[in-house]
Amino acid sequence: MVVATRQNDSNFSSGRLLDEEKITRALNSATSLGAEYAEIRLVSETTNSASLKDGKLERAIPGQEVGVTMRILADGAWGVHSTSDIASIVEQVEPTFRLARAVAARRSPNQTAVGLAEVPIIQDEIHWKSAKDVRDTDLDKRIELMLAIDNEAKDDEKIVSTATGWSDEHIHTELMTSEGMNRVWSFQRSLINGMVTARDGDEVVSYRMRHGGEGGLEVIEACDLGEMGRNARISALRLLSAERAPSGRMPLVADRDLTGVYIHEALGHPCEADLVAAGDSCLEGRLGQTIGSEICTVIDDPTLRGGYGCYPIDDEGVDTRQKNLIVNGVLTEYLNHRETAHRFDLEPNGGARAQDGLHHPLVRMSNTVIQGGSHHDLDELIEDIDFGIYACGSRGGQVDTGRGSFQFAAQEAWIIENGSLSRPVKDVSVSGMTLQILKDVDGLTRDSHLAAPGFCGKGQTVPVGDGGPLMRIREALVG
Amino acid sequence: MIPDDAVERLMESAQSIGKSCDAAGLQQWEVFASQGYGHSLDIEAGRISMASGGGDGGFGIRVVEDGRYGYAHLVDINSADRAIQQALNIAKKSPSIKGFELPANQSSSKVGGMKDKAILDLSPEDLLEQGDEVLTRVSELDSRAVAVGGGIGIGAGAGAIVTSSGIEDGGVYTSHGVGIHVSIDEDEHLTSSYEGESSRALLKDLTSCVDKAVHWSQVTREKISGGNTEDCPVLMTTDGFSPLFSVVVPSAIKGERLARGESFWSGKMNELVLADHLSLVDDGLMEGGMSSGSRDGEGVPSRTQTIVDSGRLTGELWSTRDAAKMVAEGKASTAQSTGSASRGGHTSPPMCGCNDLILSSSAKTLSRDRLIEEMDEGYVIHSVMGAHTANPTSGDFSVTTSTILRVEAGEVIGALSQAGFSGNMAKALAGRVVLGDSSKRKGSYSTGSMHVPDVLLMDGMRINPA
Repeated sequence: MVVATRQNDSNFSSGRLLDEEKITRALNSATSLGAEYAEIRLVSETTNSASLKDGKLERAIPGQEVGVTMRILADGAWGVHSTSDIASIVEQVEPTFRLARAVAARRSPNQTAVGLAEVPIIQDEIHWKSAKDVRDTDLDKRIELMLAIDNEAKDDEKIVSTATGWSDEHIHTELMTSEGMNRVWSFQRSLINGMVTARDGDEVVSYRMRHGGEGGLEVIEACDLGEMGRNARISALRLLSAERAPSGRMPLVADRDLTGVYIHEALGHPCEADLVAAGDSCLEGRLGQTIGSEICTVIDDPTLRGGYGCYPIDDEGVDTRQKNLIVNGVLTEYLNHRETAHRFDLEPNGGARAQDGLHHPLVRMSNTVIQGGSHHDLDELIEDIDFGIYACGSRGGQVDTGRGSFQFAAQEAWIIENGSLSRPVKDVSVSGMTLQILKDVDGLTRDSHLAAPGFCGKGQTVPVGDGGPLMRIREALVG
Repeated sequence: MIPDDAVERLMESAQSIGKSCDAAGLQQWEVFASQGYGHSLDIEAGRISMASGGGDGGFGIRVVEDGRYGYAHLVDINSADRAIQQALNIAKKSPSIKGFELPANQSSSKVGGMKDKAILDLSPEDLLEQGDEVLTRVSELDSRAVAVGGGIGIGAGAGAIVTSSGIEDGGVYTSHGVGIHVSIDEDEHLTSSYEGESSRALLKDLTSCVDKAVHWSQVTREKISGGNTEDCPVLMTTDGFSPLFSVVVPSAIKGERLARGESFWSGKMNELVLADHLSLVDDGLMEGGMSSGSRDGEGVPSRTQTIVDSGRLTGELWSTRDAAKMVAEGKASTAQSTGSASRGGHTSPPMCGCNDLILSSSAKTLSRDRLIEEMDEGYVIHSVMGAHTANPTSGDFSVTTSTILRVEAGEVIGALSQAGFSGNMAKALAGRVVLGDSSKRKGSYSTGSMHVPDVLLMDGMRINPA
């Protein structure tokens, strides 16, 4: 047990938390036992969250968490051990090695052994410094910024409640491997959000807002928080009188938030090579094929600084870079970690992410963006639509990667009639099949950038960014 | 898997932090400690792809000074003094809530079935054998079927709570879970189904999940063309209904949301809110309940509470602080803890939430086949995509399903490939509803554990075939 009594040498604020000598010995002992590869990765997180309800402090929670995960590859299979007791990890080499071999013993002859693509072996430290280190932000400042939203959001008698939230984290990671990798990196993320609830008789609605990204206090200060609160209030009041959305197949125009969620769910997840390898992706075997409209170019880029899904090095120690998932409609790249890169004989592209130090890395997205097109603005996108939907703001989405079907929901929407926005509607969701709807994208505005930050669940939850331009889909299933 | 003296050691550490709180001169404090251990295996592409184990834990400290509270969490007991100071500093900036104090110690009932020694005795090798059993079953049932994902896990945890008001309690719990995602991909036509099950006791039959997953992958292959959008009855199986129900209903019955006008049932106490044969009970004392225990997350004795009685809203859920706050703000005339404080671990302060939530009917309940006959014409939905996008404030939802069967003349005639599915859960449950005859727990969510049967919703459901 316990966590809590064996970390006397821990120092959360700076320097190394892993004892390099002990870890090197542990990794060497794994290879002496016969392991093909072993790694130990530690993540310490200094976090702060806070929330207001109706402008009053509801809770503020500072925290310090640490986790360490060891992965051992033996006979082509993985054994993993995770713990918050740093010092105990070295005692787990042999049991974890035995676990890996027990998994390997179950592999049938027709099943592929796990291998790892080669990567540069690097020893270095990379620290993304924030302009304003978020750890220096005191609670008064956090409250002041949340109140900037709240003061504007509550300004109507039909607004029955407001809630605002804050979350920031300083993430410090150390990775050592049996190959000699020894990397340390750190960075910060900051987020502010809110929700407005409006009521008129029995009709009750809510509207959410969110802003954030990689970096410190400067990320939040760059946002016009008053405008965010004001817009949320206006949207909530508009939803009170909005009618239920029509159902059926119709043209759809999505704002940046929804374009981002769409591209994340419909394309990003099926591009994750671990799902491809599992036989759970509709994009299996389609590299090099045209799968979308030629106006579609989609990237995933953890180096897009400021995006909520940024990270300097992936959780296998691989340098990050922009991945070009689709170029002019052609599927050109999967998201990979070292295992899938080896499996498909591809180049590792820095797509390995773990939720924290207690989880092993999976193939994940970072900042996923569809590039801009040729339309000037919304007016030009909708001018030739007789009847359709303009949908804005995300309530989330989901995908069945194997079938290639997806769903996402909008916070609010308008009917498009005869080339103009007519009346607001609510409860709009959109669903479709990835391989069909990518071909039905027939309009994109020129300006493309990241939208509101999000979180992605795949057994583990990681922060992500996504976005793009305004996007028009020729025909989508709405409602 | 877990040391015999795990609770004692946690209790000792919590008491030690409590002494530091006393030394700091705090008026009231609460120390929550947790430690979890587990083993699991991942299934991928028809094989066991990974086996893992480990454990984690830590401490949460809540301090209350003159009705103001602060919280901090930590893993290293040596940093307790710093965490105490952080919590105290936060308390000083928090609003004072008149009447808010940490709960006093009250005697509690022991809840059985929280721990199964058979789980504690399982080795990682035993778990791998269970994985073999599951994978073998998939191929036995249908040679085309592949377990593309899933896993099996066992866990054991210890928790302890010590407070300045005299609460000192702790216990050990276990869990065993299986999830399996099966797909059949033949003739360029893929169908799939995910099924899962978990229990505090050792699962006797891991293959029942597999049977269901293969069954639904098979029955959804008989495709028919989708018709037009229609408002029609929908029979949701317990697996399809549970995720939507868990998003919409638990938040609507929190006292604070009701008092603040944030619930679609706000202002409707003692009014009919569900069909008059339906009842909703939040059970914190269910033997073996995944969200039950002798005390809630802040040490208040758990209880069984009727929330909706024969369709009438009669109860609501409160944590100690929410109750004091709403009374102090004049939003509730009277309120007190209902033993409904839950916490997601040591990093989270206690917050109001459901325990084991049970939906039942006093009317005649029917088997699935009889429900289909009763529906006569409509759809059966076994899973939905996007349940989390449902709106808990309004009850509105608009989701997608690829596990949907068309029913005509009381018989299933085939499956749609995909359809949109929308409506308002609150209104639908207040309309014509018939429940199935087997209520089983279907899923533990952040909002509690849901015990719901198959549900036939006759009104307000819209199907929009792809």
